[in-house]
Amino acid sequence: MAYSKELIDHYENPRNVGSMEDESGDVGTGLVGAPACGDVMKLQIKVSADGIIEDAKFKTFGCGSAIASSSLVTEWVKGKTIDEAGEIKNTDIAEELALPPVKIHCSVLAEDAIKAAIEDYKGKTGDADESKDAAE
Amino acid sequence: MNDANVKAKENTVKSCWSCKGPVAVAALFCPTCEAVQAPAPVNHFERLGIDVTYDVNTGAIDRLYFDLQRQLHPDRFATKAPKEKALSQQQATALNDAYEVLKDPLKRADYLVHLLGIDVLPEGCNLVKDQAILIEAMEMREKLMMVDSMKAITEIQRETKAEIDDVLCALSLAFAGDDIRGACQLTTRLKYLDKMMGEVRQSRARLLA
Repeated sequence: MAYSKELIDHYENPRNVGSMEDESGDVGTGLVGAPACGDVMKLQIKVSADGIIEDAKFKTFGCGSAIASSSLVTEWVKGKTIDEAGEIKNTDIAEELALPPVKIHCSVLAEDAIKAAIEDYKGKTGDADESKDAAE
Repeated sequence: MNDANVKAKENTVKSCWSCKGPVAVAALFCPTCEAVQAPAPVNHFERLGIDVTYDVNTGAIDRLYFDLQRQLHPDRFATKAPKEKALSQQQATALNDAYEVLKDPLKRADYLVHLLGIDVLPEGCNLVKDQAILIEAMEMREKLMMVDSMKAITEIQRETKAEIDDVLCALSLAFAGDDIRGACQLTTRLKYLDKMMGEVRQSRARLLA
C-alpha cells in the first residue's frame, strides 16, 4: 500500500511524543482507544490562562496511521484556542495524511482524543457544559 | 448423508432450487434429489448444530466441523453442475467462518456479545471510553517498551497470560449469568490483552534479532 509522504514523515519522526503532569490544573488529558485494532491513544494539552494551547503531547500504541494522526493533531493544536482545537475534524486529518479508507478510523480516534482532552481540561476549570456534546 | 444437522430448524421448510421438493432450511442437501442447498441464514452455533453458549466443547466443534466439511468437499462436486459447485463453495465458506469464530475464545466472545444484542462495535470502529481498560492497556504497553531482557519479557508474557486466563473465566461466568454488559466489557479487555500478547511476541523476536 502506498502511504503519503506526510504520513510516513509523522510516523518516522513523530512530533511531541511524551507526557505531561496529569494532575496539573492547566493540563487536559484525553485517553481513547479502538479495541477493534487494539489501539490506545493518549493526548494531552497544556492551556494558558487565556485559553490558548501552549503545548501538546501524545503517546500512542497502535499502527502507523494512528501514530501519525495523533502526531499531526498535537502539531495543529499548538497556538490554537481550545475552541478552535475542538473544531478539528477527522476528515481534515485524513485528508492531510491521505489516509487509505481502512485507516480512517485512526483519524476518528485522534479527533476523539483531542475532544476528550479539551473536555477534561474544561472539567478541571469548571467550564464543562459548553462543549460537552461537541463530539456528537 | 441427509442429514445430521437439521435439528434446530427441521420444522422450517423451503423448496429445493433444483427439484422444487420440500427441504429443511438448515439442510445441506435436498432429501429428494440430493442437490446441495444454499447456506441457511442461521448463526454460527446453529450452523454447526450446537447450543448457543460461551462454554463450548471444542472437541465436539472439531468433530462437527470436519464431518460437515467432508460432506462439502470439492471433490464430491467435481462432476456436478456449476450451480452446485458454487453452492457447495458457499456452504464450505459459511462453515469455515463459523468454525473460525467458535473455536477462538476472543472471536467467540465478540460474536456472542453481538448475537445477544449489544452493539459493541458499531461500524467496526468503536471508541472505548472505559478509562480503566485504557489505562491498563497503556501501562502494559509502556512497561513492555521499557524492557530490554528476555527474562523481563518472559515475566510480562506470564503476567499477560494469567490476566487472559482470568478474563476467560470471568467471561464464562458473565455469559452464564446473562450479564451481557459485563461480558461486553470483558471482551474489550480481552481484545487489548490479545493485542498485548502479540506485542510481547514481537518484542521477543526483536530482542532475538
